[in-house]
Amino acid sequence: MKWPANIVAHRLFALTVLVGVGIWFLIVPAVSGNLGANPLEKLLHQSGEIAIWTLGAVLSLTPLRVLFPASALVVALNRHRRAIGITACIYGLLHFGFHILYEGGWDGLVRSLTKPFIWFGLAGLSILIVLTLTSNLWSIRSLGAKNWKRLHRFAYLAAALLIYHQSIAGKGHWHTARWLLFPLLGLQLARIVKTLYIDRFFQNWPTPGRKHSVPDRPINQRYYVWPRSEAGTISAEQRLRLRPVALCHLPWIVDRPE
Amino acid sequence: MTPREPNEHAWQLPDSVVLPEELYLRRREFLRIVGLGFVGSALFADSLPAATAGFPDSLNSSFKLDGVKLTSEDSITSYNNFYEWGFGKEEPKESSNKGWKTEPWTLEIGGLCANPRKIEVNDLVKLVGGIERRNYRHRCVEAWSMVIPWDGFPLAKLIELSKPDSSAKFVRFTSFLDREACPGQRSNSLPWPYTEGLTLPEATNELAFVATGLYGKPLRNQNGAPIRLVVPWKYGFKSAKSLVKIEFITDQPRTTWNELASDEYGFYANVNPSVDHPRWSQASERVIGGGLFSGRRPTELFNGYAKQVAHLYEGLDLRKNF
Repeated sequence: MKWPANIVAHRLFALTVLVGVGIWFLIVPAVSGNLGANPLEKLLHQSGEIAIWTLGAVLSLTPLRVLFPASALVVALNRHRRAIGITACIYGLLHFGFHILYEGGWDGLVRSLTKPFIWFGLAGLSILIVLTLTSNLWSIRSLGAKNWKRLHRFAYLAAALLIYHQSIAGKGHWHTARWLLFPLLGLQLARIVKTLYIDRFFQNWPTPGRKHSVPDRPINQRYYVWPRSEAGTISAEQRLRLRPVALCHLPWIVDRPE
Repeated sequence: MTPREPNEHAWQLPDSVVLPEELYLRRREFLRIVGLGFVGSALFADSLPAATAGFPDSLNSSFKLDGVKLTSEDSITSYNNFYEWGFGKEEPKESSNKGWKTEPWTLEIGGLCANPRKIEVNDLVKLVGGIERRNYRHRCVEAWSMVIPWDGFPLAKLIELSKPDSSAKFVRFTSFLDREACPGQRSNSLPWPYTEGLTLPEATNELAFVATGLYGKPLRNQNGAPIRLVVPWKYGFKSAKSLVKIEFITDQPRTTWNELASDEYGFYANVNPSVDHPRWSQASERVIGGGLFSGRRPTELFNGYAKQVAHLYEGLDLRKNF
């Protein structure tokens, strides 16, 4: 693996970034007295922001892997999916802790629990907690890969709930959410379009971990991936199927040169 | 003849160190400001506060708020909801002080009244007979609160001078519009300019106040320089900042936050612990300056000013007319 993918792939890198974000946005301002006039509110908002952006980061990994299967960086980032997901949950719990403090104790907390605004946050956080508790090999084995995957698709529901929670947190506007929502939706859309086309026209795609439905043909005879240049001989019929079918394929698929 | 280089001779002064003419002409005020101790703000002509008339003033002892701790000046001037200057609370302090001038500033008083006028703020202060200091509780709709020593004059005085017609039932307050200077106004997140309104009885109540300063100094830009409304028994958003127009009108005016989210921000917006905001409880408030573990203070009806204003709302369902 080449730089920077080899660094990014390292466990220490993930740990540094994931813990570092908390240190930089929560601990450094707290220690240096830069939390402003309403320090608890600042901690509340910062921890919530970190949580939701971390969740956004982990949800962008799958689409990125589908879209850029050849990128070593994306592959390296995908190694940290579990760590990033668990981190999102931990910052979410921290955010809830600050919320309890901000409400000033039990009475305030109970009063806040009557608000749909809080329900959305709590529902999202509950999902993250379940997903965190099942983020281990033992759970995958005992649930079975298929069920486990189904369960962990609830991360998308959690993201939807939490982005809504974040968007209505501001006073009558949801401009903050669009920076997260639209990129995530865009990535998912691109991923869906790509997967659908690949499934329909090529049956499979060289994504790490994805099972190929036509295992008997070598990879370089099934498609032509830029910039790999070595290509086996393929029939005219096969060549026809290699034609780019949508604009989104152009960066990755080109027709086999004569 | 070729123009001389600025520093050709040692005795030459660059233009930048010479007192601007307008300042020179107002040098007594200038000296007084320096004497009062805000050398910093006075040296930069750009951020020179406009409403300097009337300082120093003295505390009106009926509005002393005995035993209540004032919020620090630093908190009051660094934690501001002023969406014209950005959506974050720390943004206005930064973005409103990049050379935005409130000098000169003309306030228009108009609508249904016998004495409409356009008047410069300092002239207005002189016209109403100077300013006084009042310590007021300030309760934000976001459930935090401050105690602020405002300097200004009762709104009733201004209304008295304007002589509203008998058909005038409401007063509309309009803030400035400056899309070039204001990052917030360049987005269409709110219907600019910011407008607020009061009923005429509310506006003539002894508590309704027009502030030109706080902590004995002219208002800073982030606090609504040079002239703003202060309605202490209502949520903070009713107290429109940096006013350019006050009008007497017949019908209830459209007001900015009410227009944007009428289920969350009512026209009356009286502080009321038993009427919740849809997203949070209004039963208690976080007092700014309390620190991390300070807990919350129970919110009072009409922000503790029930004695002065409760009669205005007799027979009115405060739950419906929130």
